[in-house]
Parts: sequence; structure tokens; C-alpha cells
Amino acid sequence: MSYQLTVEPVGETIEVEEGQTILDACLRQGIYLPYACGHGLCGTCKVDVLDGEVDHADASSFALMDFERSEGKTLACSARMKSDVTIEADIEEDPDQRRIPIQDFNVTVETLENLTHDVKGLRLRLEGKTIDFQAGQYVNLKLPGVEGTRAFSIANPPSENGHVDLQIRLLPGGKGTTYIHEVLKEGDKLTLSGPYGRFFVRKSRGGPLLFLAGGTGVSSPRSMILDLLAEGYAEPITLIHGVRTRADLYGESEFEALAAKHPNFRYVPALSSEPEGSDWAGERGFVHDVAARLYDKLFEGLTAYLCGPPPMIEACVNMLMQGRLFEKHILTERFLTAKDDKKTTRSPLFKTI
Amino acid sequence: MSGTKKLGLRQRYEYLTRGLDWETSYQPMDKVFPYDSFEGIKIKDWSAWEDPFRLTMDSYWKFQAEKERKLYAVIDAFAQNNGQTGISDGRYANVLKLFLTGISPEEYQAHRGFAFAGRHLRGAGTRVAAQMQSIDELRHLQTQVHTISHYNKYFDGIGEFPHMHDRVWYLSVPKSFFDDARSAGPFEFMIAIGFAFEYLLTNLLFVPFMSGAAYNGDMSTVTFGFSAQSDESRHMTLGIEVIKFLLEQHPDNLPIVQKWVDKWFWRGHRLLGLVAMMMDYMLPKKVMSWKEAWDIYFVEAGGALFQDLGRYGLKMPKYADIATAEAEHISHQNWAVFYQYTHAAAFHTWMPDAEHLDWLSEKYPNTFDKYYRPRWEMWAKMEKEGKRFYNNALPQLCQTCQIPMAYTEPGNPTEICFRSTQYKGDTYHFCSDGCKDIFCDEPEKFSQAWLPVHQIFQGNCGGATVPDVLRWYNMNVGADNMDYVGSPDEKLWNEWHAEKLRQAS
Repeated sequence: MSYQLTVEPVGETIEVEEGQTILDACLRQGIYLPYACGHGLCGTCKVDVLDGEVDHADASSFALMDFERSEGKTLACSARMKSDVTIEADIEEDPDQRRIPIQDFNVTVETLENLTHDVKGLRLRLEGKTIDFQAGQYVNLKLPGVEGTRAFSIANPPSENGHVDLQIRLLPGGKGTTYIHEVLKEGDKLTLSGPYGRFFVRKSRGGPLLFLAGGTGVSSPRSMILDLLAEGYAEPITLIHGVRTRADLYGESEFEALAAKHPNFRYVPALSSEPEGSDWAGERGFVHDVAARLYDKLFEGLTAYLCGPPPMIEACVNMLMQGRLFEKHILTERFLTAKDDKKTTRSPLFKTI
Repeated sequence: MSGTKKLGLRQRYEYLTRGLDWETSYQPMDKVFPYDSFEGIKIKDWSAWEDPFRLTMDSYWKFQAEKERKLYAVIDAFAQNNGQTGISDGRYANVLKLFLTGISPEEYQAHRGFAFAGRHLRGAGTRVAAQMQSIDELRHLQTQVHTISHYNKYFDGIGEFPHMHDRVWYLSVPKSFFDDARSAGPFEFMIAIGFAFEYLLTNLLFVPFMSGAAYNGDMSTVTFGFSAQSDESRHMTLGIEVIKFLLEQHPDNLPIVQKWVDKWFWRGHRLLGLVAMMMDYMLPKKVMSWKEAWDIYFVEAGGALFQDLGRYGLKMPKYADIATAEAEHISHQNWAVFYQYTHAAAFHTWMPDAEHLDWLSEKYPNTFDKYYRPRWEMWAKMEKEGKRFYNNALPQLCQTCQIPMAYTEPGNPTEICFRSTQYKGDTYHFCSDGCKDIFCDEPEKFSQAWLPVHQIFQGNCGGATVPDVLRWYNMNVGADNMDYVGSPDEKLWNEWHAEKLRQAS
């Protein structure tokens, strides 16, 4: 049994398991609520319940006073949902975030091509509707015989609203990606819902942009960069796309063409495990190391967008912070596979990175 | 409906705090804020301060008033029901004595310190946050005094707490800790108390006392604990914001902040040795061992924190590994000191009974049976033979933490650790490398320390004999000090207990 939780003022809706706390559900879905003690004593995570019913559980009567309970407050770290719930939390609304209602779509597999030996490019034609989304957002795809849904970033820009392009790497043992790689064929019908996520370009901030992508994590940056360049974004934009070897690299001819056409766009493919002595003349090393070299370890003034597997994100965040770029200017989307979804103990020091 | 969008909470708070600030024109800003530059901290942009909480004064009073009403209702009910007779054992009252004499006055020092920071930091957002915490700390002192004053009607050793705080040898440990923080600059104070004490180490101070109170039937203390902890949301988030802000403002701040984190971690660790002893020896009903608390709240939670802080280049505090190794020893070594000097302490001591000894063996399998149980058993035997051991020599004190030099060498629990250094022709002594490093970084400051034993020898503490000094402490000899067994506290407790049995039969 699970309930729907809507978090205002950002308007995000997530699933919450029975018995799961609101705070835990939000943090797992990447919605940061302020918190500190985590067990109902301090009151940092106080939120307004706008709609629905919650159980305050172990909230201390000093951290959540009686008059506050009757005013509809609760502590997110303790509260368990007894129905679908809408809360309003002390989180900032982003001026660049659009409120786009999430919809269900019926789609047909229009094309299914090999981008590399283990990455498929998938074009899904939307039947009878178009999709409105912000570049960088993702969809949840339902696959026959696979429990739950799988999240994939949209690789095409929002101007192409009749289809969604997805780039999907085969994860050994992954049910969803195995289905896509081995069973799915052109003409198949699927359903998806979206758009989801808060990974989008903070255009109103302006300034130079740095995109750091690992593997298929390049799909969101592709959408974002195509969107920015089409709009005439004039500040410098750099994309560093890291993969293991030459055989894992894709999309380079398109990015090179964009770089030739737009002098403010720089494209840097980087290979981390390319055999020494191969004819690769481009950058070698991990994305964060390449970024350190390109920027001489000083990132102040940039806004960075990070998309890729967790170890890459962690390494990049560390490198950026050592180069004096901090949380406010680091935006990230983590690719979590079912295996990664175990939170290691973190402190409340950082909200989103 | 008008087209103007309603202001968000954040914007309203910004208008209320920073919007009310101004650049002074009659006097230069550097004269108005004379203390925020000498420490070397560089702030490029005060407006980048992210308010860690947004509480306006009107709602602050509303909340605090409601908390007070609740607390005083519990205290009244506790008094009317003679709650003091329902605690686990008369020995438990000694925990409250230690708390009220050793911790509560520091709430007041924190109040003064945050008032100073709330005046002298240049950023308006930071000032408002510090001022609010200043009022909280004053409230904490008041509620603690009011709660424990009920016990003062029955138990000894509580009534002279402010007088004792300024004079008694072991109370100079917490007092000098806060004196050090308060006589530092406003930024160091914020790292020392705001970050290291209120964030990094707070759970090791409050959780043991409050859980200890709950386990031992002291509902009034539990209630002031809850009441205080509900303010901690602001204190913890302020501590986190301070360290992030300083580290993000300028790269030159990193080595300064690292030095303060090293210093205040070690000083906090030494101070918390009193809590360690309280947990392992003074609670009649145990919550968990000090070692267990240290593992949960420092090794695990602190480890996660420093892993995150590592992104700024900040490292785990120096000597954190030594402190973790000492968690196996510190409570035993402290209790040994107080047992030997029970004639000069304003709370009672005792040797653990058989059940308690077994609990300690179980909790400290690596150290207790080997190093401490034999000593306790010997002292218990000496008590039985009428030869109760007192140490009549005054101990040498560490120049930095002011604790008697009773701690052992890292890696060798059978050898006392001594360190020393020379400064302007005098020799200064330390209990550890951590305390020595702190001195060597600021010898002008620590060479002036008011060390209780030195002061006694210099004739500044009422006279040349122990009774003279105890009189100067306002110690009620024979009641406040010495063993629990044979004390007026024990006699009273046994009477209550006998009365309960009589009523039950």
C-alpha cells in the first residue's frame, strides 16, 4: 500500500510507502526538506499539511506543540501518511521551474538503433498528443513484464514535442534494460508518464555553463544544449562527455557540428580507459580530471550541470568544490539503478549534492 | 485579486532582518565592528549568508511561551506528586548536581557569548541568528535552575552552584572551556560553540543526560531536555551554516577553520569526559556505555559529517583517532579521580557493586577487566577494612583543559601521559598532545589560565589547608562531599524507601 504525496510550493508528487516517513520519501526522491535531528526532537523539518491525514508518531510535544498540531503542522521526519497528502514545506521555488502537469502517454517504438555496442537509441512516437517538458527532465517508462517503471532522461529538446528520444545502456542483470535491448522491437506499443524532475537549466542566472556527463548521462545535457543554442544563449557552454573507450563514445559528430556552428559551444569527449597508444587524440581520463585540466582547477563563476553514475557525480562535486564552486551552482541528476538506491549515511550539510 | 505575488517566507524574513540593517555613516563600519577582522577570516559577501532558519520575534515569543507553560506544568506536577521519591535511586541526584554545577552555568556563558557574536558580526542575518540563540541559552539556564531547584529542597551539593562554578577545581574545566571561547573573536566563538559544541558534540552531551533522566524516573529533567532540544533545531542549523559560510567565502579561511575545529574538537572531547563518567558510573539505571555513545554520535554521525566537509578540504579533527581510542578508558580514569578526591567534590562517589562491575566488563571487554576492575576491587576491599583510600596531595593540572593529569599514554593504559613545554622561562604541563598543541598555538592566552591547584598553593583560595579551601568553596563538609554511603542523601533516600514499603504493606 502506498500513498501520493504532493510537495508544495514546488508541486512535485511522489509515492510514499505505508510506514515510510515523509522526510525519508522526499530525500529518496531528491526533494530536500530542511532537517536536523531526524527523530522528532528538534523541529527543523516542520511542514504544513494542506490536505490529507498524517500520524505525528514520535514527534516531541515541544518540537511540535499542541497548537501547531491543531493548525495542521507536522514533523516530516516522524510523520506517516494515512491518506494521500499535500504538504507545504520551507523550500524555495525556483524561478526557472515551470509547472507542467504530469501526463500518461501511449507511445510506439518508432526507431531502435545501436548507438554503441551496449547503448540503444530509442525514439518513441507519442500517440495523439504532444509532450510539454523542460530540457533535462525525465519520463517513467512502463515495460511489459517488468515490475514498476524505469526512469530515463529525455534526450531531445522540448521543441521536438511529438516524440521522446531515450538513450539506454544495457545493465547486466537489469530487467528493464535487458527487455529493451533483447525483446523490444520497432512498432511495439508502450506507455510512459512524465515529465518529472528538477534537473533543468537555470536560465535566469545567466553566465557560463559547464555540463559534465558520464555515459548515457549525456542525454539530458544534449536536450539542454540543443535548447540553449536554439534560443541563442550567448554565454560560453562546455560539455565534457566521459565514457570508457572509443567504442563507448556516441553522438560526437552531432556535437562537433554544433561546436563548429556555435563558437560559444565547446565539446570535449574524454575517454577513461582507452588503451594507450591508440589513435585517440582527444582527452583521456575521468571527467573530473579533464575538467580540472581545462579550467586549471578554478570553477568560480560557472554553473555546472552534472549527469551520470553516482561515483562520477561524487568525484565531480569534490573537484568543483575544491575549485570553489559550491552547492548553489552545482546542479545534478543522479542515475540510480535499483542496486544504488541504498542511502549511505550522510550529514545534513548539503541539500542536493 | 491584486496582481502582486504574496511574499514568500524567505523574502519576508530577509526584509525583516537584512532590510533593517544599514551602513553606518557617523562612524566608519570598521569602528562599529571592531572584532570581525583580527582573526584573519575573510568575508567577501555577507549577503551570501543563507538564513538557517526564519523565525520572527513575534512567533518566537509565542513558541517559547507555550514551551514554558508546558514545562512548568510538568515541574509543578512533579513537585506535587513528590516525584523526587520516584527516581531510581538516591545516587541519581548526583547526576543532577553535576549537571547544574557543570553544565547550566555554561548555558549562561553561551548566552553571553552569542550576545557578543550577535553584536559584533557584521552580517545582519548572522547577527539576528546569534541573538536569537543568545536568548535561547538564557532560557535554558533558567529552566534548568527551576527544574533542579526542586531537588535542592532534599539533596545536598546543589544550592551554591554559581559560587562553586567560579571556584571549585573540577568546575574550572567547563568554566575555562567557555572562558576560552568567549575571549576569542566572534568567528572562533561561532565555530567553537556554534559548530563544534552545538552541532558536532551536542548529542553526546544532551542525549546521555536526557535519556539518563528518562531511564531513572526523572520526568522533570526529561521535560526541560525536550524543551531545550526543540530550540536545538536553530542551533544546529546555525552551526552548519556558519562553517559552510566561512569555508565558501574565501580559501584563506580553510586553514583557520581547520585549526579551530581541531582545537574545539579536542577541548570538547576533554570536557565530555565528565559526561562519560556520569554515563558509566553515576546513572543507577544505565542507558548505554560512553563507548557506545561515542561510536554512534561521533564515529558514525561525525564521520559522515566530516566526509561531507571533506569536499571543502576540511579534514577530520586532529587526534580524532586518539579520542576514539580513549573512549575505552576515559570514564574509568575520571571516576578514579573523583573517587580519590571525593572529600573535595560537591557530589558523592561510590565503588560500583557486583552487578555494575559485570555491566562494565560486558561494555568494555578490551579494557575493563584488565585495567580497572582490579583497582575497583582493591578500593572496595580497602573500604571494607576501614581504610577507604583518599588522595591527600593536590593533583597537577593540565594547563589547557585543567583536568588532573590522570590520563594515560595513547596505546599504553598503564603509563600516565605527561607533556610539557617552555614559554618565557616557565614550564607548562599538559595531559596530552592535543592540549599541548592548543597551548603552543596561543601561549599568551593559556599561560594566564586560572589553575585551581596553583591558586590554592599561591594562597588565593581561602587558606593553606583542605578545610580552608572547602570553606572558600562554600562546601557544606560532611553533606555535600564524601561517599554516598553514609551521606545525609542516603539517609533521606532510605527513609523514603522505608516509608514506601510501609505504605505498600
